[in-house]
Amino acid sequence: MRALRAAALLALTLPAAARAQDARWRNVDISRQLRDTSAQRIRVQYAAGRVDVRGTSDPLLYAMHLRYDERRAVPLHRHDAAQRMTTLGVESLGKGASRSSGSEPGELRLTLPRAIPLDLDLEFGGTQSVLDFGDMSLQSLRLESAATDATLLFSRPNRLRMRELEINVGAADFAARQLGNANADQIRIRGGVGGVDLDFSGAWTHDVTVTTRLVLGKLTLHIPSDVGLKVDLHRVAAGFEHTGLVKRDDGWYSPNFESAPYKLRLRAETLFGQLEIQHATR
Amino acid sequence: MSARLRTRVAAVLSFLPGALIAQAASSADLSRDLDRLAQGERITGLPPASQVTDGPRSIAASTVETRTIVARGPIDIFGRVDGSVISLKGDVTVHAGGSVGGDAISVGGRVNADSGKVLGEIRTMSSLPTVFGANAVVADTRTSAQRTMDAAKLVCGTFAMVLVIALGVLLFAGPNLDEVAATIESQFVKAFWYGVVGQLVALPGLLVVIVALALSIIGILLIPFGIVAYAIAAAGLATLGFLAVTRLIGGAVWRDATASARSRTLGALAAGIAIFFVLWMVAALFTWAPLAATVVRAAALAATWAALTLGLGAAILSRAGTHRRIAGATAGRPVELAAWQTPTPVAGVVAARRTVGVGAREAR
Repeated sequence: MRALRAAALLALTLPAAARAQDARWRNVDISRQLRDTSAQRIRVQYAAGRVDVRGTSDPLLYAMHLRYDERRAVPLHRHDAAQRMTTLGVESLGKGASRSSGSEPGELRLTLPRAIPLDLDLEFGGTQSVLDFGDMSLQSLRLESAATDATLLFSRPNRLRMRELEINVGAADFAARQLGNANADQIRIRGGVGGVDLDFSGAWTHDVTVTTRLVLGKLTLHIPSDVGLKVDLHRVAAGFEHTGLVKRDDGWYSPNFESAPYKLRLRAETLFGQLEIQHATR
Repeated sequence: MSARLRTRVAAVLSFLPGALIAQAASSADLSRDLDRLAQGERITGLPPASQVTDGPRSIAASTVETRTIVARGPIDIFGRVDGSVISLKGDVTVHAGGSVGGDAISVGGRVNADSGKVLGEIRTMSSLPTVFGANAVVADTRTSAQRTMDAAKLVCGTFAMVLVIALGVLLFAGPNLDEVAATIESQFVKAFWYGVVGQLVALPGLLVVIVALALSIIGILLIPFGIVAYAIAAAGLATLGFLAVTRLIGGAVWRDATASARSRTLGALAAGIAIFFVLWMVAALFTWAPLAATVVRAAALAATWAALTLGLGAAILSRAGTHRRIAGATAGRPVELAAWQTPTPVAGVVAARRTVGVGAREAR
């Protein structure tokens, strides 16, 4: 039995060790000076590793630090000045993910300008991400992630009114903090399998419509006490914890819905999971 | 010429070839570095190695350089460079009033452009990029003998693997193997056509499974497992069928009346696999002659395909060798020997009037 266990352990560790030996890590820093203050569209794609994205006051359109295995990936940095479009990240060479060994993952650290209006499009694979978009000027944000352990944070209010905030996560442990600071009109969240935790604290300036769709997992929403909440729920074999909410004809309402200065209208579709709403009371 | 002068001349002459060789090697290294930069970082317009500054370089204010500048040392820009600026072993500093029209790149150093202007990208890298693509296009440099030996090794390895699988099938699925072999014997043509159809519908079948799983919401999560299970089932059926065919073929060669039933089966399996092994080995041994190898390999491929198809069909017909055993298990009750005869209904048979011809009636 012990021999069998040892053989299994060896079989599991050997490929990783072989890949680790194969890996050829390289560090690259790429940046571009800011030419003007007109809006830009930035697309970031990254397959596997650690990701850190945040804003900067430096006069740079982008500053990217990459640590990648050059046997499996190449840096991606394309800028089209005419289209005001930039693509950044890492492009896989089709020899497996760039995170080649468990102890030494690849890394992407990206800083983006706070003062420039941005349409941001993020596509991540299996990543461990920290995304702090506090005090930035986001016009729209789309985050798509396959298997991720991600934290999205708006530590300070977004300078512009965001048209849309869209988050699609696959098998994920996803948390969004201070979404009230996002300054978004619409928030759309789709989850596959895993836990999604949304905190709507922050500086509210207008009403927000949130649409969530979760297939298998737990969706938790933390709503501040001064925000009125209406929930339109569609669920199949899913639990619903709604302490403090009152059922009316067309949905569940918080007691302060009519009197609250700002309202959050939630349309939630949950399948084989659980929806939990924590509406803070004064 | 004095003795001292002669000694000096001799010393210079002795060092000169070494210095020239070192310079040539350095130039070759530089060319390779430039090539790596051009391919790995996709930089165009790089100068030849002879135009690379070997040491620090400075572009003075009021100077305009239209081409790309490369130096093996730090570069200071006070003037204007329309192309890119690349330092292979130092920092690139764009001073106040200085500008770079292309990219500012430093390998192993830093780019300081806080005061100056860089229209392109600012890149610093720990090392030059490695170009792996060049290895992929290297031609096969093995000799004919080496290639033949490698092909023979591959066939031997495959044969050993098939033998191990055969042993496993014999140990754990012996009765199924017997049933599939019996199906081949009794329904040879049908089994072959079933095999052909099985191969044709294998992929559409997988698509049907995926669509069926996708239609039910929870089934979406099972799609990867479904694909793996389907592939394992298909491979298992094909292997079982192929081994049944080899057992039948081997049984015609290996006949040992004194051996036990299991030994006979094992011997027949080994002999059958060996026949296919010989076919592929002949093809491998002809590797040195490509045309002959292609012909023999095609023959081996055709024989193996026929065996696989026949075996797959028999495995499908016999439901992986379980069909007859299931039938046998349910038919435990006594068999009526006269069951094949048409039974007389319990209510009897209605008698019919016998038709009589006109001639016969008149004769009466």
